[in-house]
Amino acid sequence: MPWSPGLSRIDAADVAALTRGVSLLGSGGGGDAATFAHVLRRRLRSAPLEVRDPGELGDALVVPVGVVGATRLFGEKLPEGTEFVMAVGALIRWTGARPAAVMSLEVGGLNGLSGPVAALDLGLPFVDADLMGRAMPRLDQFTWAACGQPVTPCAMREPGGPTLLVDGADASGLERSARALLAESGGWAALALPPIPASLVRERCVTGGLARACDLGRVALDLGSGTRPEALAGALGSRLLASGRVLDVGRHAASGGFGRGSVTVVDGEDSAVVRLEAENEYLLALRDGEPVATCPDLLCVVDRRTGVPLAVDEVRPGNEVLVLALPGPSWWPERGRLDRVGPRAFGIDAEPILIGQP
Amino acid sequence: MSPPAGEATLTAVLHVPEWTGVRVLAGLTDDAGARQLTGVVIVPAAEVPEAAIAGRLLVVLHEVDRTDWRLDVLVRRARAAGVAALVLPGTEPVGWATAALADRVGLPVLGSPAPLEAGLAARRLLGRTGEVQARQVLRTVAACRRAGRTVEDLAREVTRVLRRPVALLDRSGHVTVGDVPGADRAALAAALGSRNPAEDARLPLPSGVVVLAAPVVVPGGETAAWAAATLPEAPAAEEAAVAAALAVAAVGFGHRLAVRRLTSERDARSRTSLLGELLNAGGAASAATRRRAVAAGWPLEGWHTAVRIAAQREVDTVGLRGEVVAALAAQDVRAVVVESGDGWSAWTTTTHEPGAADVQAHSAKLRRSQRDLAVVVETQVGVGRPHPGLAGLTRSLAEAADACRLAASRPHTGRFVQVDQLGLAQLLLAWTRTDTFQPAARSLLQPLEDQPGDLLHTLGVYLDAESSVAETAAVLGVHRNTVAGRMARIQQLLAVDLADAEQRLALHLACRTMGVAADREAPQDG
Repeated sequence: MPWSPGLSRIDAADVAALTRGVSLLGSGGGGDAATFAHVLRRRLRSAPLEVRDPGELGDALVVPVGVVGATRLFGEKLPEGTEFVMAVGALIRWTGARPAAVMSLEVGGLNGLSGPVAALDLGLPFVDADLMGRAMPRLDQFTWAACGQPVTPCAMREPGGPTLLVDGADASGLERSARALLAESGGWAALALPPIPASLVRERCVTGGLARACDLGRVALDLGSGTRPEALAGALGSRLLASGRVLDVGRHAASGGFGRGSVTVVDGEDSAVVRLEAENEYLLALRDGEPVATCPDLLCVVDRRTGVPLAVDEVRPGNEVLVLALPGPSWWPERGRLDRVGPRAFGIDAEPILIGQP
Repeated sequence: MSPPAGEATLTAVLHVPEWTGVRVLAGLTDDAGARQLTGVVIVPAAEVPEAAIAGRLLVVLHEVDRTDWRLDVLVRRARAAGVAALVLPGTEPVGWATAALADRVGLPVLGSPAPLEAGLAARRLLGRTGEVQARQVLRTVAACRRAGRTVEDLAREVTRVLRRPVALLDRSGHVTVGDVPGADRAALAAALGSRNPAEDARLPLPSGVVVLAAPVVVPGGETAAWAAATLPEAPAAEEAAVAAALAVAAVGFGHRLAVRRLTSERDARSRTSLLGELLNAGGAASAATRRRAVAAGWPLEGWHTAVRIAAQREVDTVGLRGEVVAALAAQDVRAVVVESGDGWSAWTTTTHEPGAADVQAHSAKLRRSQRDLAVVVETQVGVGRPHPGLAGLTRSLAEAADACRLAASRPHTGRFVQVDQLGLAQLLLAWTRTDTFQPAARSLLQPLEDQPGDLLHTLGVYLDAESSVAETAAVLGVHRNTVAGRMARIQQLLAVDLADAEQRLALHLACRTMGVAADREAPQDG
């Protein structure tokens, strides 16, 4: 069941909670939302962003936008501010169809905030929906691709650079084109996918992700530092897998392009050894050698003192952390879609283990 | 008690030679090490088989990615299935997570460069005891046949074959060849010394080391030594195999000892007779004798400096000659050493007459040799002066023998006397200690024996004290009137006049000869 969208508008006061929330939904990946948080806060000072229910929009088109590439470079190579407008403009020129609203590519990490920024750039309302419901690394892991919806024609705009329009490619073909472009250029680009009618959004996208991020962020910020681990885990609706010190962070090459890493946490309570396997995101958790949680549920490593989620490339041996498992978007476990986002989709030979699933 | 055959703890298996390359990667606690292994399961890939594997060793053959999370799962499942220990291929360390997990659940994770061989060796040790024994015995037989002629050669070869240190101990348990690592040698000697030398021994020492000893019997049925192998905690099967192999090696040692004994006795007889001929020749040896001396490598020309080394207790001079030669050689003294009587006669030869400094340096070396030798046998040593030619050799040997006799009564010089340092009187004394003078001295003093008042000793002290009654009383701790009374009785009994210098000298020499002196440590020999 999709979450009921609880956001009707976003204003500057919401940005802190949203930032914390999208970081949790990043599950260790998705990039640092801080840059977009600054942009969003400044843009919302004059007027709030209107959030529309897709049901109200009929067959009007909704365009998904976001950032692809090396999200870590985002803080080095800053956006000009026109990337989203240029990408959507190129798409309009190619298709002749004009979108009436904007949605996000993914709600985890920095793309959780890039959608609202793009909506403000374009002067369009925002629909609280996205194509992942969390953060994931590949374009074939879009809900659209899982539904057989085409991912082209799409447009990519590099910061201050050329605009690339790709048509007639499937998800993996687009992935290859995007990688080729990003490797030769600034490392990241704004991406606009083909718009879909708002009436299809509920069926083919994860809805309410930003509302969930807002709720999670508020709960986390309200609890503040010094909350007992069990209390924090309970308030976030999550399972506490470990509360302890990071013993080791190992990084090694794995088949499939992305580096593989493992984070080992020794529980301060009962000395259990909790190991997290990660690529861009945390994917699998083992407690004393027994798998206990996997993607697409959200595995989060949170600084025990500040409650701030730690990304895979931020966590260090000696960190005092909590390891949490939050339920993932309920869109994925239905109709065999786990093949695309379960552990095996990342080359991890394990059955999916999801909260609330048999 | 040795554990029952066919079982072994993990720690014991870790010590077997076939497991030399195996490394402990994680999880080896005392508890886990003490677990009894009940068998070995060898699997191709890193998976826990369905079969009952509790108490067994799980050996994985195919390479396992050390960073893979599935290794954690393997550790967890193996422990849950009751596996006693996990053996991975390769000795690279496992990741921190896996190591922490293995420590936590108490599953030893081991790495072997040759997991199949390690697994099969463990299986043999746990299962087919007889096979292990037969292998070791056959290899030892081959080693006995292959090894060189000395006991050292054999000890080295058997050590190599058994891959356990093998040593040869003398009958009292002291190490003579090889090493017994990890054993307190005194404790070992005490333990073995009290054993029945005809029976095998198994000695668990306090250090945790087990020494297996097999008696080495020489022809004639006498136990001459012990062959000993040192094992750390080992599986029963291996211990039994080493014991059996050691019994075989003991026969090889006995054989070599007998051959060595035979050779050395033959050589000793030949040396002793050659020396006898040279001495009897009195400076004019026959051509045949000279030829034999040359063949034996004895230089007859040049300046000879003789040494007489006498043992203080009865010893096997033939058997110990090697130790004497070694003790001299250790101080850079290349001497001819000949067994004779209760000790050894030895000499060194130089082309030119040695100077005073050379004599001093030589003497210092001999002193050090005597001290080194004391570990094996307590000796008294006399050193003659350098003399040239064959006649000189005879003369130097005689001087050395005299000095050696004097050394016996001189514990304060370390029972070491050099003729050069003797005064004229002492030389005179040395000459008086001959077969003719000694009976004369004994009969001279005989009337004083069995008399009340310790007259013999009183006389010796009185003469040493320059005829002072007061001094004698002080030395003896009696009143001077007592001394005066005793001296009167002595003169009466011996019918001598102590005022007469000649008679006083004769009595003094007799007292010294009989060992009667102020120095009561002097042995009452004669």
